[in-house]
Amino acid sequence: MVGRILQFILYPLVALAIGVFFLGLARKITARIQWRYGPPLVQPVIDMIRLFYQKSVSHGPVFAVGLIMSLAGSIVVVLFLPFGSICPLSGSGGLLVVLYVMLLAPMGIALSGGQGANPNISIGISRKLILALGYEVPFLLVLLTVMTHYNTISIVQVVEAQRDIGWSIASLPLFLSGVSYLLILPAMLGFRPFDVSTAPQEISSGPLVEYGGKYLLMATIEHALLLFIDIALFVNLFLGGAGNPIIFFVKMLIVFVLVLFIHAAFPRLRIEQAIRYLWKWPTALALAGLIIVTIGRS
Amino acid sequence: MDRNQIAKWFKEPSKMANKYSLHAIYFCTGCGIIEVPPVITARWDAERFGVIPVATPRQANLFLITGYVSVKTLKAIIRTYEQMYEPKYTVAFGSCPINGGMYWDSYNTIKHLDKYIPIDGWIAGCMPRPEAIFVAVTHLWTLIDKGMANGYERYKKYYRAYRRNQELALGKLEWPPLYPIGEHTEGGECD
Repeated sequence: MVGRILQFILYPLVALAIGVFFLGLARKITARIQWRYGPPLVQPVIDMIRLFYQKSVSHGPVFAVGLIMSLAGSIVVVLFLPFGSICPLSGSGGLLVVLYVMLLAPMGIALSGGQGANPNISIGISRKLILALGYEVPFLLVLLTVMTHYNTISIVQVVEAQRDIGWSIASLPLFLSGVSYLLILPAMLGFRPFDVSTAPQEISSGPLVEYGGKYLLMATIEHALLLFIDIALFVNLFLGGAGNPIIFFVKMLIVFVLVLFIHAAFPRLRIEQAIRYLWKWPTALALAGLIIVTIGRS
Repeated sequence: MDRNQIAKWFKEPSKMANKYSLHAIYFCTGCGIIEVPPVITARWDAERFGVIPVATPRQANLFLITGYVSVKTLKAIIRTYEQMYEPKYTVAFGSCPINGGMYWDSYNTIKHLDKYIPIDGWIAGCMPRPEAIFVAVTHLWTLIDKGMANGYERYKKYYRAYRRNQELALGKLEWPPLYPIGEHTEGGECD
């Protein structure tokens, strides 16, 4: 019982630590690809300490409540994702819960931005929601394919099934779905070429424009948890999860570095180009994967 | 990060974090914009020291004003400075904000920027080399260490005088005072 309570407290902290490490790694690797030395790996932590001590001004009650809502949503999703052998809340219906609660994070940011009343926020939020519309279609198809193939909606059971028959992405019916998930992963994480919603040069970092001090700190924590969630979900569904947290972390690291290379090498797409891409290749692959799995079952 | 400084991190985390996480907002008023890209990109890479450009004054704590300041730009500079959250530091880049520089007899530029907003560091030169930004940053570190980079406190303390100077240059300001200034300044009592 004590161990279970400890898991509830420690697991989100571990997820946050991994997310912040990924943020630092992103800045360092991007710098090295651009032939710079780059900041120290702990630079996001220094930034977060600075933001914690900085004064900030609220634009109204919803300004803070929206952020707290998205943060809470992210922490709940983290608790539902198995991390190696640690899975505090993965009951029977993990995948469906994750699917619904994942929407809380962008909704909370949108709610909070509405109170900020800055035109850049409105543009950023509309771009973020349009982009979400773009990647949710292939994402839902991919999850539907996985649920149909393994005949379960529990992430733990998906991981256990892969222990016997090998990784999903290496097996034939789910290969196309895995590739589709990899193709939409930069859009889900808000990385280039899909960082339209937080473009600093166009719309002054979009939804984040009015955040400073502790609000920006909360937004940074939320982003770090988002990195953890999306990559952990991919590792669980397609790379076979892992028996212990360390191997799981190594798998996450490999996927993240792969996404990072795309981030460092590609310029930003416009929003309609992003939608055209997202509804063409990843959706087609996901649909083909779903059809193959359905035919194979009947 | 230096290992010798770990004790200082535990003693004064806010000061140390302010030193090594200077998020800069650049106000490139006329000249000086061309000196900034080499600093933040591969040639001199300011991100090594935690200096990165941000897009909005809300996220920034270092305000870098480069080049001459015309009267019209001064309004935007003051508004940007007042939108930043404390603690905030200001660095004026080039000789024009110091004493007018080559625009010393222009009718339309501000000669001494220090009269309108508090400045923590100056970089002289027309134009200074990009490396001068690093000189300014390291100098700002010493100032923060000694507690002398207190421009935002001075702004709060002498806000009445600053506001009066701003009104002398710009006429009636269309935004309310940042800090309470008492009832005396309203009727133009100052000589």
